[in-house]
Amino acid sequence: MNNNKLCAKDFITIGIFTAILIVVEFLCGLLGYIHPYIVASYVVMIPLVGAIPMMLFYTKVEKFGMISLMSVLIAIIMFVLGMGYLGAPLIVAAGVIADLIAKFGKYKSFKKTILSNGVFSLWICANYFPVIVTADSYRQDLIDEGYSTEYCDNLFGAINGKTIAVLLILCFVFGCIGAVVGKKAVKKHFEKAGIV
Amino acid sequence: MRMKLDPRTKLYMVLMVSMVVLMPAATSLLWSVRLLITLFPIILLISGKRYKSAVRFLIFYGIALVLTFFVLKKEMQGILAAVLIGYCGIVVQFAPAIITAWYCVRTTKIDEFMSAMQKMHMPDGIAISLAVVMRFFPTIKEEYGSIKDAMKMRGISFGGGNALKMVEYRMIPLLFSCVNIGDELSAAAITRGLGGNVKRTSVVELKLRLWDILLMVLFTAALGVFVYNKYFG
Repeated sequence: MNNNKLCAKDFITIGIFTAILIVVEFLCGLLGYIHPYIVASYVVMIPLVGAIPMMLFYTKVEKFGMISLMSVLIAIIMFVLGMGYLGAPLIVAAGVIADLIAKFGKYKSFKKTILSNGVFSLWICANYFPVIVTADSYRQDLIDEGYSTEYCDNLFGAINGKTIAVLLILCFVFGCIGAVVGKKAVKKHFEKAGIV
Repeated sequence: MRMKLDPRTKLYMVLMVSMVVLMPAATSLLWSVRLLITLFPIILLISGKRYKSAVRFLIFYGIALVLTFFVLKKEMQGILAAVLIGYCGIVVQFAPAIITAWYCVRTTKIDEFMSAMQKMHMPDGIAISLAVVMRFFPTIKEEYGSIKDAMKMRGISFGGGNALKMVEYRMIPLLFSCVNIGDELSAAAITRGLGGNVKRTSVVELKLRLWDILLMVLFTAALGVFVYNKYFG
């Protein structure tokens, strides 16, 4: 494809990988209700597990807009699943920046892909957003909804204005590590099989 | 009784329910509203002959509700209680959104969805990608089931207790089949003229009927009650 416009095939690729990523997120998310510290550890878990589909996705990205569109879709689905709309601008911002970084490498440079995946992983942190911005009322909401006070104390101890910086950095770092691991997996399985 | 709703109504319902689940239900009035909007998609699932998922959701939601209201107390200690409280909390809180979304996904045909999107003037990119996402959740579930069967046949169940292997053994075959399905899907889509420059026509005529309007009003009212209670009550 020579022209830079996205075509139906690209949209379908985006849809498939978004669906896989959401499933990964959802399965990891279910674990979070055991203990709030696991909620904080999403920043490690999801980038690592999600990296394999993401790296496979990156091998298929050739035009600007695919990663951005994926982040828009994630934002929509997160909203529908009840995560709220506060994180949506952040998710889209992470997606667009990741897209730009990858574009600088012409979607071929592996170093840029690592960085790009790191930035893209920040969408996970967007889900913490309501916890930080509307901390007090959100806490009350959670207690009203039947969460134990202990859970809330732990949750807000683990995620607040101070720890968010650490979480963001962790998320970025593990996004990058995930990219390296994922790339290995893609090489091991998919390039040999001739799919990429 | 067979009720066919317009896809736009279904999407509207999903939107409204997602807003509602963001807000806590503290009083019994709010609880009954929330129960009502959860029961509606279940009834609709039954009328759409999706008995299995309807029953599953009903039991799942019912157990969580009973546990939350009658069995679990906030003062309960111990890990099991904490896990149960957490899970019941999440089910009670988010199940309405998930049930409605599931209803929307399982009963909307892709061509109906596309033509609804076209009528709402959604950009093609978002419409096609969303349609694929919608179609793909059931596919992923199916493929995953086959992978599990294949693993069982070879006697691999947990990847030898190695977390990394566990992920790898499941993820890689799943990605393989998804990529293949994706290629087939794009071929099928291009055959049907997706991505062309002309305006596509649709076999299904979408029309808002009385039912659609009634349901929209009902769900808007449900959201209204919650908003009123949260900000003015």
